[in-house]
Amino acid sequence: MWNPGGWKSLLTFIVLALAWLAGFSSRLFAVIRFESIIHEFDPWFNYRSTHYMVERGFYNFLNWFDERAWYPLGRIVGGTVYPGLMVTSGAIHWVLHALNIPLHIRDICVFLAPIFSGMTALAVYFFTKEIWSQGAGLFAACFIAIVPGYISRSVAGSYDNEGIAIFALMFTYYLWIKAVKTGQVYWGICTALSYFYMVSAWGGYVFIINLIPLHVFVLLLMGRFSQRIFTAYTSFYIVGLILSMQVPFVGFQPIRTSEHMAAAGVFALLNAYAFLRYMQTFLSKAEFRYFFILAVAIAAGAVFLAVVVLTWAGYIAPWSGRYYSLWDTGYAKIHIPIIASVSEHQPTTWVSFFFDLHILICAFPAGVWYCIKNINDERVFVVLYAIFASYFAGVMVRLMLTLTPVVCVLAAIAFSKTFEIYLKDDTPKSQQKNSEEGSESRNDRLYDKVGKTKKVKEDKPKEEEGLGMNIKSIIVIALLMMLMLFAVHCTWVTSSAYSSPSIVLASYGQGGSRTILDDFREAYYWLRQNTDDKARVMSWWDYGYQIAGMGNRTTLVDNNTWNNSHIALVGKAMSSNESAAYEIMRMLDVDYVLVIFGGVIGYSGDDINKFLWMVRIAEGEHPKDIRESDYFTPQGEFRVDSSGSSTLLNCLMYKLSYYRFGQLQLDFRSPAGFDRTRGVEIGNKNFDLTHLEEAYTTEHWLVRIYRVKDLSNRQMVIKPKKPVKRPKRKSSKKVKRAGTIKQKPKIIKGKKSTAKKSTK
Amino acid sequence: MKWRAFYILLLPYFASVLCTSTIDKSLVVTQVERKIDIASHLVKTYTSITIENKGSASVRSFLFVIDPTLQNKVSFIGAVTKDNKDDKLQVVPTTVTGHSDKQFWKVTLRSELSAGKSVTVEVEAVFAHALSAYPSQITQAEKQYVVFEGNLYFYSPYETATQKTIVTTASSTLESYTKTKPVSASDNVITYGPYENRPPFSEAQLRVHEENNSPFLTVTSMERIIEVSHWGNIAIEEHVDLRHSGATLKGPFSRFDYQRSQDGVSSIKSFKTILPASARDVYYRDEIGNISTSHMRELDDAVDVELRPRFPLFGGWKTRYFLGYNVPSYEYLFNKGDSYALKMRFVDHVYDDMVVDEAVVKVILPEGSKNIEVRTPFKVKREPDELHFTYLDTTGRPVVVMRKENLVEQHIQDFELHYTFQRMLLLQEPLLVVGAFYLLFLVVIIYVRLDFSITKDEAKESRLRVASLVEEVQSTQDRRSALYQSYDDAINRFKTTKDTAAFQASRKKVDADYKQLTTQVQNIYQQLKTEGTDIAEKVAELQRLDGQYKDQINLAITLAEKLVAGKASRQQYLDSEAGVNTKREDIYQKMEALRATL
Repeated sequence: MWNPGGWKSLLTFIVLALAWLAGFSSRLFAVIRFESIIHEFDPWFNYRSTHYMVERGFYNFLNWFDERAWYPLGRIVGGTVYPGLMVTSGAIHWVLHALNIPLHIRDICVFLAPIFSGMTALAVYFFTKEIWSQGAGLFAACFIAIVPGYISRSVAGSYDNEGIAIFALMFTYYLWIKAVKTGQVYWGICTALSYFYMVSAWGGYVFIINLIPLHVFVLLLMGRFSQRIFTAYTSFYIVGLILSMQVPFVGFQPIRTSEHMAAAGVFALLNAYAFLRYMQTFLSKAEFRYFFILAVAIAAGAVFLAVVVLTWAGYIAPWSGRYYSLWDTGYAKIHIPIIASVSEHQPTTWVSFFFDLHILICAFPAGVWYCIKNINDERVFVVLYAIFASYFAGVMVRLMLTLTPVVCVLAAIAFSKTFEIYLKDDTPKSQQKNSEEGSESRNDRLYDKVGKTKKVKEDKPKEEEGLGMNIKSIIVIALLMMLMLFAVHCTWVTSSAYSSPSIVLASYGQGGSRTILDDFREAYYWLRQNTDDKARVMSWWDYGYQIAGMGNRTTLVDNNTWNNSHIALVGKAMSSNESAAYEIMRMLDVDYVLVIFGGVIGYSGDDINKFLWMVRIAEGEHPKDIRESDYFTPQGEFRVDSSGSSTLLNCLMYKLSYYRFGQLQLDFRSPAGFDRTRGVEIGNKNFDLTHLEEAYTTEHWLVRIYRVKDLSNRQMVIKPKKPVKRPKRKSSKKVKRAGTIKQKPKIIKGKKSTAKKSTK
Repeated sequence: MKWRAFYILLLPYFASVLCTSTIDKSLVVTQVERKIDIASHLVKTYTSITIENKGSASVRSFLFVIDPTLQNKVSFIGAVTKDNKDDKLQVVPTTVTGHSDKQFWKVTLRSELSAGKSVTVEVEAVFAHALSAYPSQITQAEKQYVVFEGNLYFYSPYETATQKTIVTTASSTLESYTKTKPVSASDNVITYGPYENRPPFSEAQLRVHEENNSPFLTVTSMERIIEVSHWGNIAIEEHVDLRHSGATLKGPFSRFDYQRSQDGVSSIKSFKTILPASARDVYYRDEIGNISTSHMRELDDAVDVELRPRFPLFGGWKTRYFLGYNVPSYEYLFNKGDSYALKMRFVDHVYDDMVVDEAVVKVILPEGSKNIEVRTPFKVKREPDELHFTYLDTTGRPVVVMRKENLVEQHIQDFELHYTFQRMLLLQEPLLVVGAFYLLFLVVIIYVRLDFSITKDEAKESRLRVASLVEEVQSTQDRRSALYQSYDDAINRFKTTKDTAAFQASRKKVDADYKQLTTQVQNIYQQLKTEGTDIAEKVAELQRLDGQYKDQINLAITLAEKLVAGKASRQQYLDSEAGVNTKREDIYQKMEALRATL
């Protein structure tokens, strides 16, 4: 029996399943080309802690004090991570093992993000369905599944918080819309639970806890207050607040930091407003106006005063540096070089909008327009989301991720609307007999044709209807072509830009043959196998997580950049001359120093190219000893050839990078000591190291490890040293910070613990 | 074959019961030729012993003693008679009262050695870690020198009449060697002897200090996991811990020197592992992923894998890797009814002249295997069985764990594992999957079909009912529209054929259908009315319009009949038909619009 409802749900199901599949498989490039491992730098920490949790149990994980990081400070891991990611993969692992499916935790971690991208597609589908229509929902699900802006953070092997957080974000928003629409406590609580998951997964939860109150606030301003909103928001806020404080890393922040105050303020406002509405029923109009003004003035004054007093008294922390940098793009560069040093924190270029979103970014304003034209409570939310996400994405490359879902939703609305207009058969003349289906279901069937042009012919009405019909078919075909190009672009971007792992480098020969440069793992595995278990490795913070994860050795600083002065100390050691650096290294009990050097193969992300940031960060804390200007030539250039500044040519980083490189002749056309990355012959060639010796250098010289020699009046120790417990010396330099900047922003734990590659 | 299995079974028995022997004074070693091979990192001795029975009784066995300097380093001892080299003699450890500090091995001859006869036996012994690096630490540029210390004379519980020792060294560069005459050295061979008439247990130092840059590679521990599947595959994975056990590296490692002058001669860049010819899906990885530096070559009788560790191994450096592959089970698994026998190598080749300090072999048998029985060619320590759970397991797979220390290439021998397995159990896992899916679908069906809500939602149910009724109306309406078409067809045919009878017949038929559909809609209308929705009004409207439409059709029929009967002129007919048609069109559009809004 013909059952249109059944077909519709079957089609919806198939489209969503295909979207999931497409999203999953387009994220597998890196795994198929290379192998199933964690490919990026940062996720190695997540993987390591997941592994720890799976082996030792959840409570041990929460209480984990990692003595292998931030030597000699250590790091309380349980209290400084968002555990959502680890708990998610741990739970999957637990379920699978309960069913005797012996999947290694590594594979779960590798494939978690692709699997969650499918869940995101579902969440986006439901969200769009609530906002607009089912058809638009299917479009949005297909878009989000393959859009590069989201793929960039969720390819297989990038095991990062964002991978699951976008799902949590969109699902929370969906539940919120549902709560606003129905006004049921049930949905409000569901929103709060989903919000709790988001809080446990990613620091970006702040976006939710500000956007939802903003939505409520704007609805109030628009005079759209209703019991539904009141119920939804109050139930969500209270339960969400309590739940979010259960995450150890978040703790009391929701009631003590400025970022969360907007939500509390809106909560108070909403209650006051509801109270006024209630009072209104008892008072006459004139009385009420008087009463209203008074009440509003008192309430506003009281709230404002309370916040100011609490902030002043220190109960509420002021805005953190990262937040200032959201409003003032120049802020970080001046005050927090460590934030600015991360390439992901740079403002977005125009190109990358198109690169990451392609046609969607063009259709997106149209979607906004449709939403504004047909405004209702939940569309107000989408519009607000669109406005704020666009702004943030413009400020920081990284926040492109939060913009992507809303762009998909709104572009889907625009496309859906357009197709509705141009595909609808609005000529139900006498030739109706060939249209068996209702027009509604037929329209819906078209929504799944993203990028599939082969069915177009069938949709063109058979009857020639003159000019109108032609224009319609032309427009439909043009749109489908654009969608097809979008799919092609997505695949291309994913394959070429977002699927090249950073721990394995591949170079292609002339015949297309592939050479794998596996130097990172070579070095880390050497560390793991051939150094003492307690050996301490000093390197720039970018490599901290990897050394801990793959090398299993103690590091001084890592990608969790919570202690700026410690990083500055390492930066100082790297930028001082050898004997000054030796003092710092002795002080920090360093056994090995690891540097990344790309001069032999022309790898541009090496330490010399990042060196200026080390100098800058060191200068911030030790302005007396390190001055950035010393590292430039008088012309203000940063160069490593013979005209480079002598401070640079004699600093530790230079020496460790170029030790014995001056003797190496790479090919016959270039002189010995020709640095391929910088394209110059190095300036200081023949030097010896006095306090360090080469311990290992990888095949392509990409990673160089040096052993810190013991004090010279002792017997030389050849074996990897056993850790020697020395009485800790107090460094006068460290204690006194004569030249620190005023208003040095405090980096609040919890704000974005991870950071990507430093700027090239 | 049977006998051999019997011996193998009894081997541990011999070792424990026949633990003491006595030195038979009637035996005399008439001639010994020893070849000591110290060219690799192993010390291999091949001793050709000619024994004469000078007593009166026949003798079945004789004793072989290990040199005191080497006695803790024995990896393997084997003996054959000179005439029949394929026939391995039984060699078991034993002790002799009064000589508790020495290590005796009892070699049992194939046949009795009667009085006055002599026999030549070749004893092969392999010693691991018997060469010590001297100096024990070298820099990258230096070469590696090792010292061998042994016994100049054949160490024997019997008197030795004449003996000769040939030492093969790795190179001709000799730092020093014992020069007890007669001795001659040429190229890489040092020949000692012949020495005449040495009493039992005579000792003198033999020390050779040579340059030896052969790979001093030691497998410090190895775990070999063999997973047997009755679906035709055996998966093997080896976890290998390697260590360079030669002179340790002193000072820095310079990549520049290593690349430019290719020094570090004693370092190990790569080695070759030989896998069975049928090995497929070979992988080479470690804890942090695939090791991309390896090459594989498939030969006719083996698969050569050239393994390169991630970094060159210098003295004292370690590494660890996993090597895994699959082999088809028909080559190794044999069965007769429900009893199965697995015949596989206890350890496989890792590299030439390999030394495995400790090996653990785990055999994972299919779930439900019983009566497990292990037969090994040499003594191994069998540890308590474990259970292993993998895909779709319920009770777990039995794991046989065997442990053996100090293995060399000569230990690459087959072991046998017998067990019984009911064939029907093979179906257990597919059935489990089928059952699970069946259950899943069942649950979904039940969930979808039954109403689990706590409260009855009247409004929703009514809405659903209305929706289904509306759908019915729509489909009926569609069919009705189709009927109009058949009216038209009938009229047209009638106009051309002028066959009144046929027309009446088809009209009657269509009329009947039409009536039926109309009553159907009427019924639904009644139902909708009880639901009390405004859709009922629309359906009523639809019915009304339909009535009008039908009237128009009737009109058209009358007109057509008139035309055919000649009661109306053609022009008249056409005019009135056009009027009817526009009306029909109008009503039809109204109906369609109405239908769409339902």
